[in-house]
Amino acid sequence: MEAFLQPGFWIFVLALAGIYGIFSLGLQIQYGVGGIMNFGHVGMMAVSGYTIAVLVIKYQWSFWWAALIGVILAAFLGALLGLTTLRLSGDYFAIASIAFAEIVRYWILNTDSITGGTQGSLAIPSPNGFGGYTDQPDLFLTWISDRLYPIIGDEASRDLSMVLVVWPFFLLFIWISSRLQQTSWARVLRATREDDDVPRSLGKNVFRFRLQTLIIGSVFGGIAGVFWALQFALLAPEDFLRIVTFYGWMILILAGSTRVKGLFVAAIFFGFLYGATRFLEFWPLSLLSSPERAYLRVFLIGFVIVLLMVKRPQGLFGKRQEMVLE
Amino acid sequence: MSDFIQYFFNGLVVGCIFAIAAVGISLLYSVLRLVNFAAGDFLTLGAFITYFLSVTLELNFFFSIIMSMVAGMAISWFLELVLWRNLRRNKAGTLALFLVATGVALMLRPIIQFVFGTETRKFNVDILKTYDFLGARIPQTQLLVLLFASASILTIALFIAKARIGKDMRAYANNPGLASVSGINVDRVVIATWLISGALGSLAGVFQGLVQGQFNNSMGESLLLSFFAAVVLGTIGDAYGALAGGLLLGLIMELSQLGIFFGGIPSNYKPVVAFATLVLVLLFKPEGIFGYRARKV
Repeated sequence: MEAFLQPGFWIFVLALAGIYGIFSLGLQIQYGVGGIMNFGHVGMMAVSGYTIAVLVIKYQWSFWWAALIGVILAAFLGALLGLTTLRLSGDYFAIASIAFAEIVRYWILNTDSITGGTQGSLAIPSPNGFGGYTDQPDLFLTWISDRLYPIIGDEASRDLSMVLVVWPFFLLFIWISSRLQQTSWARVLRATREDDDVPRSLGKNVFRFRLQTLIIGSVFGGIAGVFWALQFALLAPEDFLRIVTFYGWMILILAGSTRVKGLFVAAIFFGFLYGATRFLEFWPLSLLSSPERAYLRVFLIGFVIVLLMVKRPQGLFGKRQEMVLE
Repeated sequence: MSDFIQYFFNGLVVGCIFAIAAVGISLLYSVLRLVNFAAGDFLTLGAFITYFLSVTLELNFFFSIIMSMVAGMAISWFLELVLWRNLRRNKAGTLALFLVATGVALMLRPIIQFVFGTETRKFNVDILKTYDFLGARIPQTQLLVLLFASASILTIALFIAKARIGKDMRAYANNPGLASVSGINVDRVVIATWLISGALGSLAGVFQGLVQGQFNNSMGESLLLSFFAAVVLGTIGDAYGALAGGLLLGLIMELSQLGIFFGGIPSNYKPVVAFATLVLVLLFKPEGIFGYRARKV
């Protein structure tokens, strides 16, 4: 029971909530506004995370420039996905997007000379024989915890510094996104979500609007990838399995797909679910080994998704009338 | 030449398994408009139940396969009663169906894990015995799988074409409104579809387990997108198309390793060949190879 009461546990939960919250915000813009069902969102996270690792470790770039390039590449990947497959109708696009993300993952898995293959970022070939990519941002994170140490003592951890870095971004993005959704741009998109013909008859290029949405969502996916890479300081292909996209979807449907502001509550719930199945040590959890806990997590996430869709498809904060019905 | 025969044979074997799994997915889509993301895990479940009965309990292998198919049917039926029926009644949208199917997959996998454990499994069959055919190496298990799988495919095709419930299914898939006014019992069609897809999932799982030699609990999941590729290739919702699409995809994936295609695509990229086929078909011929109707894209 102690872990529950330890601030360290909750700080980890918050850090994770911030990262996956930003990830989910991308899906929220794509689905909640544009009606795009993107099931390959994890691909954007993988691309930006791996771009950082490869540029920093293999080519000795500065972390910050690498992060910028990573996000740009994620946006580029979103554009590529959209230009090729966004003309497909909803369910076909969803399947195509999964295939897209899986191609990205297989490429990472099988290109040992660049990405380190199955061994992950540790095996990325480096001129100075060391496979870390977080040295520069770590200096900054340490600087933050050094400032906090006199005030809160031992609770000043790297996780806490991460929370202090990620959450302002998360809240800023929530604010930007909720402003974005009051613009005429978003109104056109909401119209396309229900019916293509009306906005088209008003001279709107529906495809271009959708593509823009997909790219903006991908940027959020990419930014989440940067923070993810920073938080865990280690990347492996199995960190970017299909299921990660559904972490994001769980947060989104928990919040209600049209409710930007419910997102941070849902993100904290997800962070708790993830952290609890990983760290908490009380009965009956204490009976399980760590791989079994990982499976318990997968089960719980599946369960929450099914329960929500059956019992409360509008989410905890959504209104039933606003629900998107295809 | 021997390379070609080898890959062609492998392609046929893999293709038959894809065909069996794909036809279940395609039938479900045609009747319920449901993309069954849990189909892969039903394969895993079938293989593990068969393993449990035939290896752990030392029962007859064929009896074990039948029982695993019955289990697949029972679980599908159960899910229809507690889950899918309610969702249809609430007029759930595409996203809800997608997410629930995914949620079922996410729940099924840990359950398999808890009940059967994580170790790699192997059926109690001789996987080393091989025949030599024009320089190609043909393992006995694969030959048997090919025979039994082809027989299953013929049975399925005949069933859909001739059996009363098969005709009802096609009628309902074609025009649900017209089918129900002409006296077709909709609930019976839906349940029959679930039972068939459950049984075929288990069967395909056993075949896949036999062909791989050894398998673990991610076997079915990792094949899911290949099945979707087969379904889309053979026109989504078309049962015969799915059979053909499965065979064709199996051949494409294996023959892509031949030297004439870019010097041979490495075998660890085989799944990528399937994903790329999926994306390319969606892009250039989303109605599939047998599609004649212009679909709304």
